[in-house]
Amino acid sequence: MKYELVMGLEVHVELATESKIFCSCGGHAAANEPNDCVCPACCGMPGMLPVTNKHAVELAVMAGTLLNCKINQYTTFDKKSYYYPDLPGAYQITQWFNPICVEGSVEVTTKSGTRTIGIKQIHMEEDAGKLVHDDWTATSLVDYNRTSVPLIEIVSKPDFRSGEEVIAYLEKLKSLFRFAKISECEEGAMRCDVNISVRPEGSDTLGVRSEIKNMSSLSSIARAIEYEAARHIDALERNTEVLVQETRRYDDVKGRTFPMRNKETAADYRYFPDPNLMPIIIDDEWIAKIREELPVPAEVKYEQYVNAGISEKDAATLTAERNLCDILDGAVELGCSHKDVAGWLLTDCAGILRRNNTTIDKLDIAPAKLSKIIDMTNSGDITRVAGKKVLTAVIEKDVDVESFISENNLTAQNNTDLIASVVQKVIDANPAAVADYKNGKTKAIQALMGGVMRELRGNGDAATVNELIIKKLSE
Amino acid sequence: MKYYISEISAKGSVAVDDNILVKGTPASCGSRMLESFVPLFNAEAVDRLINAGYEISGKTNIGEFSLDLLGETSYFGECTENGNLVSAAASLVAKGDIDAAVNTDVSGYPRRAAAVSGIDFLKPTYGTVSRYGIVAAVCSAEQIGVSAKNAKKVKELISVIAGHDSKDGTSLPADSYSYELTSASGMKVCIIKELFDKASDDVKKSVSDYADKLRSVGVTVDEVSVPEVFAIHAAWNILLCAEFCNNVSRFDGVKYGYRSENYKNIDELYVNSRTEGFGFITKASVLYGSDVLSKGRYNDCYDKALRIRRVALNKMKELFASYNAVLTPVCSQKNYQPYEICDAFEKAYDENLFTAIPSITGLPAMVTKGVQLIADSFCDATLLSLADSVEETEVM
Amino acid sequence: MTNEKLQDLLDVNELRLTDDETVRMISLFQKMNGCEASLSDINTDNVDIMVHVQPLTNVLREDFRDQKFSRESLLEGAPEHTEDSWQVPILVK
Repeated sequence: MKYELVMGLEVHVELATESKIFCSCGGHAAANEPNDCVCPACCGMPGMLPVTNKHAVELAVMAGTLLNCKINQYTTFDKKSYYYPDLPGAYQITQWFNPICVEGSVEVTTKSGTRTIGIKQIHMEEDAGKLVHDDWTATSLVDYNRTSVPLIEIVSKPDFRSGEEVIAYLEKLKSLFRFAKISECEEGAMRCDVNISVRPEGSDTLGVRSEIKNMSSLSSIARAIEYEAARHIDALERNTEVLVQETRRYDDVKGRTFPMRNKETAADYRYFPDPNLMPIIIDDEWIAKIREELPVPAEVKYEQYVNAGISEKDAATLTAERNLCDILDGAVELGCSHKDVAGWLLTDCAGILRRNNTTIDKLDIAPAKLSKIIDMTNSGDITRVAGKKVLTAVIEKDVDVESFISENNLTAQNNTDLIASVVQKVIDANPAAVADYKNGKTKAIQALMGGVMRELRGNGDAATVNELIIKKLSE
Repeated sequence: MKYYISEISAKGSVAVDDNILVKGTPASCGSRMLESFVPLFNAEAVDRLINAGYEISGKTNIGEFSLDLLGETSYFGECTENGNLVSAAASLVAKGDIDAAVNTDVSGYPRRAAAVSGIDFLKPTYGTVSRYGIVAAVCSAEQIGVSAKNAKKVKELISVIAGHDSKDGTSLPADSYSYELTSASGMKVCIIKELFDKASDDVKKSVSDYADKLRSVGVTVDEVSVPEVFAIHAAWNILLCAEFCNNVSRFDGVKYGYRSENYKNIDELYVNSRTEGFGFITKASVLYGSDVLSKGRYNDCYDKALRIRRVALNKMKELFASYNAVLTPVCSQKNYQPYEICDAFEKAYDENLFTAIPSITGLPAMVTKGVQLIADSFCDATLLSLADSVEETEVM
Repeated sequence: MTNEKLQDLLDVNELRLTDDETVRMISLFQKMNGCEASLSDINTDNVDIMVHVQPLTNVLREDFRDQKFSRESLLEGAPEHTEDSWQVPILVK
């Protein structure tokens, strides 16, 4: 018999705020050491009261907009109770009764085509802390840095029919959220629970469902789905076990899922409205203002770039990273051409970052500085080689372009007399190359060019140098 | 007989209950669980007192998380005088050791305490005094109020501690109220018959005597029927216990405070710390509160109680369309004798009948001369004026 | 209220009662369940819930970071801790 997979996803995404959702401790990216972004509220001490971070609400509305959701104009917070050492108050503030966004959809494309995945709701909540288990001392160490970092949980409808769709969906969320600066979606900042069941193809009743909790790497999610589907099918086909509705966790090392402790899963969370947090009314005016903050979507940017003459491959690379688009658009606004900036970004900047063992998504350069370097190179004020030197200094040390050029004597040498004298000197010193050239080996001119450029410390205008060498050699 | 859990300054004129945080001084809340808990910041009300030049005398003993009648469930022992229970703070004020005390009115304890000790206490309108720095028990209802010998002193202190605080998300703008005293003459007050009928004869007499005194200063006093009081009482106990259960779940032996010595794993650490750290009144409140929030019971209990809260407020607003204030008993009896600790939950549950309306609605309530006056939101000044007008007749 | 249901409540609240307290608690539940009967005195069919007694909305703070408390001070009162973390008996994975 052929079987069909039916899956729904709950995806938790950490929002890229400066501070936490209910207190002003540093947010998702601020922590350096355990418990260095913690206040009395974060470690469950009494006395402090939660006050909601406005930016977290705005980012949740942005996410809802990108996933075509209806924004609930009346939204509230609730408390969910359970005991675990990573939850300092033994309750989590979440949205149970009135989530911020409902009824959305997103299209995912796989080899088998494009399908629409329904979004049931998006709600805001606070994250829990982290536990590090130390077998030597038989203790677990509790770190509350992540406590109260804002999350959105995106709950899909059970619309997934293959592991590929799940991965495509997660990749899509990741690129949408990164591009809109809603979340950096780095390792661990996007976590996923998969509800999975299996049924004979064509059936419209659902099979027994298991929920695999808290996975963060795409490859392990794919493997977990594969394992779990096989387990369900084995149970149905060969009666290897009786399936029960349960929560499981995936062990990536063993490549298997295991049932979780009953206590963790059968709990009644006793949700109730949080009396400390007043309702949030998101009116049309506020929604419109938030939507203005949304960037032009990556697909639209891609079209723009291709129309401006950038190759499709380069346009795809550029629109995968919001920072590259921001730098490119900024430099274009200052008068550079799309093609020029794209070249400098993807060749020169990428090369410099690679040498610094980092990647292009980390590029941080003021568009004004980049456009200045491009302009000066194009106008011949500095050579391409000098331009690259300046660029390196700007990326590594954020130097001022003009003072760096003057301090390092990088202004291009256009003085024909000076260049001519250097050319003569190099020709005199390289009789072999001159002879080769005269015997028809025109490539020998490269050696002479190199010599002249070295003498001029890279600042010679290449066209002028070339012209003068040919002139001298033909004399 | 422990009046203070921690003494701070012998010269101090204002005491602070032990569930209100003073930086560097333990905040036990009358519980073994928090005996060793030392807060890292001052409550907003404490900061305001200190900034206004008041010195804090110390942290007064309270019943465990202020749930009980008068403080008798404190891990550090009860206070009695002449064989009757008294509250530490109210007794210190009555004896003149201090001028005033600030107390968290969780479910009416400082109102009962004022009645028993013959002093005044104002539970202000919810949202007017910041709850920042209270060891939370019932966030939707509790308010810091002021105990003092007379209404003028209460007015002086409440004017200091009230005001907007951005650290409390339920704090109201300060321009919505003031504490200006006016003449009570011409005001109208009504007595809720159902509550009057439930009080002992000597309490009934106190209420009738107070009604006479009000009449003598030109106030009209009527009687009204509010048959909803019993449903409101049940609803209040539901909200109280449910929120309380959630708020004390943070006390688990992991981060601070009491940890049992007897554990081998996290479950034993939790269960033994909480079982040894809490008294029976806390355990009973937690169990009932957790029950009313559970899946099968939420709609009939918690949700229903939240709807009754709206009905209660609407009912009171109806009364305030015709009356400036409502007069009720605040205790079933004039004095309470010490009793078996296992009865504490039930005693408080029952006595909350008289304190429930202001607690569940957030309306201001004032206890003076052993009776309770309730006014509309932001009309705390009406209560102070009524109390002051009667007190003035006695000075003369 | 039955002994089994009470045990569930104790479990979910990480508490234990003595035998005497258990008897007492069950009788308290009977009493409170009796009081709950009065809830139906009030018809709430067309009444909304009221979580907050004051009608405030949109109480929000701006997104800026303000780290006021040191890790050392927060860990000082911990029953068991390392230099940088709270400590509990190991959680079985």
